Amino acid sequence: MTPDALLASAPAPSSNGGPVIVVEGVRHSYDGKRNALDGVSFSVRRGEVFGLLGQNGAGKSTLIKAMTTLIQPTAGRLEVLGRDPQRDGQAIRERIGVVQQAESFEFTTVQGNLDLYGFLWKVPKPERTRRREALIARFGLDEIRRRRSFDISGGQKRRVQVAREFMHDMDILFLDEPTIGLDVLMRRTLLDSIRAEVRRGLTVVFTTHNLEEADYLCDRIAVIDQGRIVALDTVDQLKRLYLGKRTIDLSVGAVDAPRFFDALRNALGPAASVSTDGASAVILVDDAKASLAAIVELAQRLGVQLEWLTVRPNTLEDVFLHSIRHGGENPGGP
Amino acid sequence: MSSCTRFATEGRTLAAPDVTRLIYRNIRVNTDPASLFILLGLPALYLIFFGYGFGSIAASQGGSATAYLAFLAPGIMAFQSVMAGTVGGGMLWADRRYGMLTQLLVGPFTRLQYLFGIMFTALLIGIGGAAVMLVLSIVLLGTGPATLGGALVAFGAIALGSLFFGSMMLLLSTYVKSNNAYNSIQILLIFLLNFASTVFYPYSADLPYVLRLLFAINPLTYIADTARNGFHGTLSPTNEIEMIVLAVETAVVLVLASRAYMRADVSAME
Repeated sequence: MTPDALLASAPAPSSNGGPVIVVEGVRHSYDGKRNALDGVSFSVRRGEVFGLLGQNGAGKSTLIKAMTTLIQPTAGRLEVLGRDPQRDGQAIRERIGVVQQAESFEFTTVQGNLDLYGFLWKVPKPERTRRREALIARFGLDEIRRRRSFDISGGQKRRVQVAREFMHDMDILFLDEPTIGLDVLMRRTLLDSIRAEVRRGLTVVFTTHNLEEADYLCDRIAVIDQGRIVALDTVDQLKRLYLGKRTIDLSVGAVDAPRFFDALRNALGPAASVSTDGASAVILVDDAKASLAAIVELAQRLGVQLEWLTVRPNTLEDVFLHSIRHGGENPGGP
Repeated sequence: MSSCTRFATEGRTLAAPDVTRLIYRNIRVNTDPASLFILLGLPALYLIFFGYGFGSIAASQGGSATAYLAFLAPGIMAFQSVMAGTVGGGMLWADRRYGMLTQLLVGPFTRLQYLFGIMFTALLIGIGGAAVMLVLSIVLLGTGPATLGGALVAFGAIALGSLFFGSMMLLLSTYVKSNNAYNSIQILLIFLLNFASTVFYPYSADLPYVLRLLFAINPLTYIADTARNGFHGTLSPTNEIEMIVLAVETAVVLVLASRAYMRADVSAME
């Protein structure tokens, strides 16, 4: 399935309102030569958690910057909360929260960071204090509350950065890889906090490398690669594309790999999707038993030593890898 | 539409309370003990050490130590405008370095508001620092302004100077990509501005041509002269001309700094 077909076939997400973000054919180039965004289209509905998955440099952060009015796309239409970022940037920014990928903090204490951020967002003093204390408790910041933010660890800074964003009200929260540097417990705290806010009507746009997080949190996911969306659907629907299929992980000696993988593609036929990376391959198949037999028979015939061979159920990671390697084609499909 | 045009459009929504919040924030995050020492302690040390040190030299040569202190005190007050400028540029640089520039600009502020926030903070710091130096000179050195009107003119010159140097440092911090380069240029500029001006010693026709030229084009000379003459109640038409020149220079640098900053790709600055 092509990206356009995927876009067209994406079902209306479970939501409680109309679109709060509309992105249509957005392109952006930093240098006028290479497109960091290359015709991206999607919409996000109120109350939805929308995930952007992609490798480093895929265009996720550029997309976030465009939606949060930091950069002006070279072409295309962008609408956030029914407003045009070109004309109503400030009105949009007053209703969004942004946790950027890069570290950001004020030269003051942890609680000072929270308090000052609330002040900048016009949160009245009593409410500011109440929220600050609640966030310090929720994000486990009590022990470091009086320490200056440049004097705490990277993970602690990240916690402050994320907690800070909840000091103010917002309609949309943009999170650009917010869990980098967080330990497992704090990561789950953050994800649960986001879930709780979503239940109250918050819309979340979330970029991550971590597919388990995306699976846990997102209603829909867009896989972005080289500035293009190569898969876009609900998590369940994306997984359903692979329903009934199994994944075979396989590795062989480096010398034999190219010859063996070429032969393997022919042996398994077009119904199997073979993604290779050096001496390893990930193969999506309908009939795992028959495919295993074919692989073993081929290895024996070519005299190739199989170093690793295993069958497992599909994961979101398979969806992701398949999408970026095959440009959103339906796995094994025509 | 270019990003410059976009932000220029956004600039129309400039609202005083937003800028006030930014000024409060700028002061709060820039008033740690180390920054305060640099801001106030350094000029105070100049005032005390140079005042007594050069004053004693003047006395040993048949001059008056008290007269030199009276000369130096308004010069050090004028020097606060340079310190305010460095704080202004430093604020933008620190916000770039610690990620707060883009964080504020994805918050409820426009670029113009952020710019005004820095400029007004520099202005307040310049005035505040000069006031502290004035109190110090009265308490420690026993020298104060001759008239209230003259003092107001002196503070006006320092305010204008703070805007000038704030804009200049803002321009610098917009273009310079590395922290080390920024610090090196800033140190060189402070040295040149200070010692090629009438802050520490008077202009003399006996100075080498290059130094006389530097004195003449250095805005700090105009600020120090006007502050000094205002301080001593000896203002002349020359000071009016100096202030007009300074106002024009300030307007030019402010426009240049604003344009450079508004056009800069903020997301690439960090």
